[in-house]
Amino acid sequence: MAASIQRGRLPWWGWIGLVVGAAIMAAPLVWTLLLSLKNNAELVGNSGAALSGPYTLENYVAILGNDRTLRWLLNSVIVSLGTTVGVLVLCSLAGYGFARLDFPFRRTLFTLVLLGLAIPSQAVILPQHQLFATLGLHNSYPGLILPGLITSFGVFFMTTYMRAIPKELDEAAMLDGASRFTIFWKVILPLTVPAQSTLAVFTFLGSWNDYWWPLISATRSDMYTLTVGLASSQMNYAQTSGLGFLMAQAVFASIPIFVVYVIFQKQIVRAMAGTAVR
Amino acid sequence: MAGLELHGVRKAFKGVQVLDGVDLTVAPREFIAFLGPSGSGKSTLLRIIAGLETADDGEVILEGRRIDTLPPGDRGVAMVFQHYALYPHMSVRENMAFGLKNARVPKPEIDGLIEDAARVLEINELLDRKPGQLSGGQRQRVAIGRAIVKKPKLFLLDEPLSNLDAALRLRTRVELAQLRQRVDAGVIMVTHDQAEAMTLADRIVVFNDRRIQQVAPPMEIYSRPANTFVARFVGSPAMTIIPGKLQNGSGHAAVRLGDGALIETAISRDGLPPGERIEIGLRPESVRVTRDGDVATTTAKVVLVERLGERSLVYAQLKDGTEITAEDSGLSTARSGDEIGLKIDGAAAHLFGADGTGYHRQDA
Amino acid sequence: MRAAARRWDGLLFVAPFLLLYCTILIYPLLKGIWLSLHRVDLFGQGTLVGFDNYARLIGDPTFGQSLINTFLVTLMVVPVLTVLALALALALNRATRDAAIFRGIFFSSSVLSVTIVTLIFRFILAPDAGLLGEIWQGLGWEPLPFLSHPDLTLPALAITTIWWSLGLPMMLFLAGLQQIPEDMYEAAALDNAGKWTTFWRVTLPSIRRTLILVVMLQTAAQLQMFGQAQLLTAGGPSGASRTTVLFLFEVAFGRWELGYASAAAEILFLIILGVTLTQYWLTGRDRESGR
Repeated sequence: MAASIQRGRLPWWGWIGLVVGAAIMAAPLVWTLLLSLKNNAELVGNSGAALSGPYTLENYVAILGNDRTLRWLLNSVIVSLGTTVGVLVLCSLAGYGFARLDFPFRRTLFTLVLLGLAIPSQAVILPQHQLFATLGLHNSYPGLILPGLITSFGVFFMTTYMRAIPKELDEAAMLDGASRFTIFWKVILPLTVPAQSTLAVFTFLGSWNDYWWPLISATRSDMYTLTVGLASSQMNYAQTSGLGFLMAQAVFASIPIFVVYVIFQKQIVRAMAGTAVR
Repeated sequence: MAGLELHGVRKAFKGVQVLDGVDLTVAPREFIAFLGPSGSGKSTLLRIIAGLETADDGEVILEGRRIDTLPPGDRGVAMVFQHYALYPHMSVRENMAFGLKNARVPKPEIDGLIEDAARVLEINELLDRKPGQLSGGQRQRVAIGRAIVKKPKLFLLDEPLSNLDAALRLRTRVELAQLRQRVDAGVIMVTHDQAEAMTLADRIVVFNDRRIQQVAPPMEIYSRPANTFVARFVGSPAMTIIPGKLQNGSGHAAVRLGDGALIETAISRDGLPPGERIEIGLRPESVRVTRDGDVATTTAKVVLVERLGERSLVYAQLKDGTEITAEDSGLSTARSGDEIGLKIDGAAAHLFGADGTGYHRQDA
Repeated sequence: MRAAARRWDGLLFVAPFLLLYCTILIYPLLKGIWLSLHRVDLFGQGTLVGFDNYARLIGDPTFGQSLINTFLVTLMVVPVLTVLALALALALNRATRDAAIFRGIFFSSSVLSVTIVTLIFRFILAPDAGLLGEIWQGLGWEPLPFLSHPDLTLPALAITTIWWSLGLPMMLFLAGLQQIPEDMYEAAALDNAGKWTTFWRVTLPSIRRTLILVVMLQTAAQLQMFGQAQLLTAGGPSGASRTTVLFLFEVAFGRWELGYASAAAEILFLIILGVTLTQYWLTGRDRESGR
């Protein structure tokens, strides 16, 4: 941590502001948690009942007995993990190529990849949808995973990281008789573990939370991810088993991301530092 | 059979020539130092031998085999990098084993080679540590160890001591000297530190301006510099080179300086170029500050006195403004602004023709 | 021969990504442009209509309304978000345990998906069953119909978005603040600079790049707002909170007017491209002036 931290003491009104702000930030989460712990019937027409007991875990029990929610959870896990692994492999390979190897049109191709940073996924959604329909990939795991692998940021990030590794290491390995792939696999890749974990966390969170593509690609409810599944429950609120159950689903769906967030806080902060000063 | 031969090696980077037709023959087991200022092409040549750069033209031959067409790993050379380039994520043992594994050396043999090298370099205790846990000197030894285990025909050292502090550098220099007695291979070391080159090398190759200026054993480089560049670059402080007029006569050449002083050299008049314009080179130790009773060759005005302890260096100006460096005892009383007498030992002088070529006394 | 082979084998490393990239992003981008110049629906292969789709869009009040809504909500969100995030970063840029806890609280909402966020906010903003409604009623006021009044739906989307997105810019600012060398503050202190002077003359200029980054990232993100509008208000009432992306979504996947929707997508692309290039230009100019 730099020394610029702890610049003066925070005045008392600053603390009050912080506490009030934090309360506003936390209130919706607490509210959700309380609702999820209430009996559905009690909440009908009177959500204020959530502020007092009795509390119960029955909504969570109901979720664990609910095949659909568990299926969505499984889908989310498969899609998020698949996307993460795919992004790591593709971006590491491409990053090494762009950072270390010389080949025709390298600069042009890199610029083409950077162009992707400015292409919003919404702008290409129709032809993408058509393409996946033609390939028969809608309502399938590859169909849900593939668009998530196209991350210009990931390639850019890995390229920058690998460029910062001293070239002497590659040269030492060349003199040690290592092939291109051995240098990549045994020398460079192990040194990018910090970057890999950062990219992994972001990809996982992004994929888990993605709403746009699965909403369009997964039209059968058994292929919904949790994000899309929750949206459908939300819209069919009238038909679901009630407010408490809905909120329990929300809490349930956010547990994995909170776990990832807490475990990988460091990587997230490091990635921020990287973006802010690039 | 020669160890390493270079024939007509040329290299340009983006149109800028950095090596212009280099020829060099190195004997087997010879320790060669590439000495020169930065940008003189010495590192580029080392990298061409290693295979890290491709020459535009020319041949590199090691023990009779042409190697410039081979990938770096197949050339039979090992390199110690300036910043050591140890693989940070591998232990010392893994660092040393990496090249052998790539060459598919059987595991027991690898272990034996590493044990041997570790014993010689006294790094047995460090084998399971990561490079990050080592001191600069230890990393240096590991880098050398990684080169040794491969049993190369030729070691390439790129400024191997430049990252060490002064005390460690001296010690490592001694160790390098001992080491080369133990290995059955040639060594080429790139350096810009002349003391390093003088101490370690059998022969020094002086580079400047894309070309080899001189190839010779250390003392010959010092006492018979091929041209004014070598004369100025080797030796500290640098040789004073003053324009003068060659006097008529036969036998040894005599030169008159701009301030009128006459210096009788021990260099034969015969081999010198025609014409009277010539430059005379004087090392500080052959220009002494006179004491009472000494006969001075000329007089000068002190500009600066550098006191080194056992001796002093006196930077002075002759009457015509020419700068000259002289030596005095450690107890020199000279102070800047003083008029002093200088006794110049003409027998130790060097002469340089208009093209920079050096001429020296026969027996030096 | 060998040198040439070595040159091409580099392509092998970048080929897997590039193949996917070109298939899934670049080809659709070009195909989208083609589509936007044709009249295409589910049944027809499409006939070339030139810029008809664009002309139709300009004349379409629904599209115009959606653009206005998008710009309005962006204007509501970005300044508030930037100022709040910067204030928080300044307050929390210290190494104490308290600050770490506060940072955690303010960032926590950012890891949620849009579905969860809108689900939560639906039951906060809804006048009959929401938390805000309960509080309002507790104070004896009439609850505000956030999700159904035409003047309140866009602010409702903005509030939801600010709550959701506060963490990221805060972290970016924190990272930016960490980069300011301590001696700049010491120099300012020696010059007897007050708190405000130090902030305006030292802190703010030093995080200029981060500031540009945050504003541009947020602008680009809000111009693409979709989930909040679709899930919280369904663009209603009568289009009062329909964003451009929601419009695009409805035209494409509700009405299946592919050419028309593509034209809207291209306009969106141009707007986002403009924002990205502006950021590039602003920070690039920065770099040239030697910062």
